[in-house]
Amino acid sequence: MDAMKAILGRRSIRKFTGENIPDKDIKKLLEAAMAAPSACNQQPWHFVVAKGKKTHEKVMEIQPYTRMLENASVAVFVCADPDLQTCPGFWVQDVSAATENLLLAVTAMGYGATWCGLYPNDDIVWKIKELLDLPKQVVPLNVIAIGVPDEEKPPSERYNEERVHYEKW
Amino acid sequence: MEAIEAIMGRRSIRRYTDKKIPEETITKLLKAAMNAPSAHNKQPWHFIVVDDRETMLKIPEYHQYSKMLENASHAIVVLGDNNIQTSDFWVHDTSAATENILIAAHAMGLGAVWLGIHPHESLIEGTKKLFDIPDHVTPLCIISLGYPDENRSPCENYNPERVHKNKW
Repeated sequence: MDAMKAILGRRSIRKFTGENIPDKDIKKLLEAAMAAPSACNQQPWHFVVAKGKKTHEKVMEIQPYTRMLENASVAVFVCADPDLQTCPGFWVQDVSAATENLLLAVTAMGYGATWCGLYPNDDIVWKIKELLDLPKQVVPLNVIAIGVPDEEKPPSERYNEERVHYEKW
Repeated sequence: MEAIEAIMGRRSIRRYTDKKIPEETITKLLKAAMNAPSAHNKQPWHFIVVDDRETMLKIPEYHQYSKMLENASHAIVVLGDNNIQTSDFWVHDTSAATENILIAAHAMGLGAVWLGIHPHESLIEGTKKLFDIPDHVTPLCIISLGYPDENRSPCENYNPERVHKNKW
């Protein structure tokens, strides 16, 4: 798929057929995520890939907004280890850029996904950390529900001229 | 350019030719930015498009890593509106929008680099002062843009040690 088409056509997809996504495709998505820029090239990210239905069910209990996981093929928890930072303070941005790369790759490969935020909701972050056995310092930023789309959404028109300023505010 | 190729081939580009980026290309970059996902679809972003050389030269006076702006065609300041997105999700949202600009730039034959501002107070203050930014708006970063005058091959960042199955 053309890059601009992927960027402008990406939508949150919440209905999935439940079909499997092959491991080689999941690897491609993670390669895209890890190609993101990061402050001082610190690459503070980790990814927990969960195909197991039991994990999906537990996540849906912890964070009700993740209900689309029900028919998702895979849940990718995009995490950060702030201790990997050489330029402290930027891990949220680094890991968000990696997440967006992952979503664009999902779209380009014909899959669908929704970004479900976890951090900075402390209560939810702690429950997810417990569920995934994350080390003390590691933070799950979000969970991405990925699957084979069972809905079609046209590109949305979000361009808003009022948000563009020239030279000054 | 094919999407995966654009994602994998994007590099930070700091050397540019003298060629100016046309206005319609800048608009395409902003369309790409505004199609990013955002928490509760709040779209809390604003963008300041800068092509005035004098303004661009003032940025390195307070931001030590921004010298490439001396030769850039444009700078885009990416900002978050804290009245629209009151939680820290604005950082996630505007980071995704920034990444869309970087991928779109590479796909269109441009080169770009992401210059961090938030959360460094002195960089935030310098940027707010230079661009007359209101109190409820915070600059996330500045993107330096131009036509590349350097060739950088895709980097191999994939690290299997960062991938965990089901649990850590």
